[in-house]
Amino acid sequence: MQMYIIRSGLLYHIVPDTTTPAVAGIGTVPNGTHSVPERDLALRVVRDALEDASLELSTVDGLYMPAPRPWTPQGFFSTYLLHVLGLEVDRSLEVSTGGTSGGNAFHSAVSDIRDGTVETALVLAVERNSIVETTGPYFDYILKSFDAEFESPIGMTVPAAYAQSMQRYAYEYGIDRGDLADIVVKNRENGAANPNGLFDESPSRDDVLDARLIADPIRLFDCPAPCDGAAAILLTADDVDESSSPQIAVDGTGYHHTASHFLMSRETSITELPAVRRAANTATDRAGVSIADIDVFEPYAPFPHIEAIVTEELGLAERGRGVDACLEDHTAPDGPFPISPSGGCLGRGHPPMVTPLLNYVEAVKQLRGTASTQVPDAGRVLTTAEHGHVNGVTATVFATEV
Amino acid sequence: MEPYTRPFWESLRDGTVLIHACESCDERFFPPSPICPHCHSTDVDWAETTGRGTLYSFTRTHATATAFDDELVIGLVELADGPKLLAPIDASYDALEIGDDVRIEAAEYDVEHDRGWLEGYPFFAARPLD
Repeated sequence: MQMYIIRSGLLYHIVPDTTTPAVAGIGTVPNGTHSVPERDLALRVVRDALEDASLELSTVDGLYMPAPRPWTPQGFFSTYLLHVLGLEVDRSLEVSTGGTSGGNAFHSAVSDIRDGTVETALVLAVERNSIVETTGPYFDYILKSFDAEFESPIGMTVPAAYAQSMQRYAYEYGIDRGDLADIVVKNRENGAANPNGLFDESPSRDDVLDARLIADPIRLFDCPAPCDGAAAILLTADDVDESSSPQIAVDGTGYHHTASHFLMSRETSITELPAVRRAANTATDRAGVSIADIDVFEPYAPFPHIEAIVTEELGLAERGRGVDACLEDHTAPDGPFPISPSGGCLGRGHPPMVTPLLNYVEAVKQLRGTASTQVPDAGRVLTTAEHGHVNGVTATVFATEV
Repeated sequence: MEPYTRPFWESLRDGTVLIHACESCDERFFPPSPICPHCHSTDVDWAETTGRGTLYSFTRTHATATAFDDELVIGLVELADGPKLLAPIDASYDALEIGDDVRIEAAEYDVEHDRGWLEGYPFFAARPLD
């Protein structure tokens, strides 16, 4: 059957996928501090994902993971892991694209299953931030991600980039800085209910607004808390049915990168994130659905104004009204478009290489009906991952198979 | 082969801020590059600016990399000639507002941060105009 879509008045031919990848199994460790080597965390989540999927390790023929951070003691991690596991694969890769690394690793696995390169893909992420000094070496590493000649010598930090988009967002749309705190509180309350989250309780709105400054006007609880974490996901071709867990289909994937780096956008304001819109459109088109068909959103939104802007880019709120969507409880777990019922990276802690996989895991749990904050009858979930100041984005649509 | 951006730093030392102009699409852009990011033409050249612009956004850090002071005032400057660039702001954070008139000027660089071949060259900062 030939499939077509019409977008912007143009007719596009869709080549249907012959194989829709399915999530066969998941494994995670709680976000927190783990005083064991990354190897042990990786082996734990791999074992748990195999058990969840009722699959033998020998069926895995592809390994996909974000490149471990430079402070990880074990180098050549994927090669080392294949040796330890006694596993031969037809494809293995480590991806390094900032916050989208986990998303791109996952999408590579999806592509390989779609075209038959592999049949059972293991997507893995592991990261320990508890072993890096956040006061020196971490900042020195981050400094290199800015323009080495024109920006790094200024002493930039990641919060200092997001602080400027927050400042500009409040200026352009007359946003009450205090209202952004409600987005933090919503995510922290959801995160406190998540047993795999970093926090047991939520700060109040006043706590958020009185916390110590990180980069004006961003304060401590506006930032996602770095922590240790690990996750594994097993993907299979949907005609391979060896699992005992309910299978969840990966119905659509999309990626877009705008021609910008951190705050250096040209035609677009830094208060817009067009890559989110483009990637989500591609993913929903591929899944044959629209944003209105999505029941739950688990985006990668590391600061509260970014969640508000993502809400706008997805078309769930008008430009400048993303904060209102939260204030009016539209993004609450029982609202019309729940955003981050798991807490997201603000509410559950943030190992950035692992966070995209944790979003996938939360999508799977929603579709299995086992999420810590369950959205009733969830049938489709959209997640995103972002790179830098959200100029590169992966979007993924998960759905229960019907 | 010479670093492509050397004329920027040489000119800055002499007090003039250079950007790039595309002869094909007439856009101005920064950082300087031999390929226009707007139309991808290679028909590009240096263009002088007054360094004047307005403050597009700004922040103040409270912790950063080892070599730097914890508190840095940093902002995005939209040059009157078009492009935006990130710059240290030579002013108190509390005195700033978006839209303030500023000028990019050469500034002595005394941070122990390795700038490679640019060691010895000044950096730049945005200074508010009254």
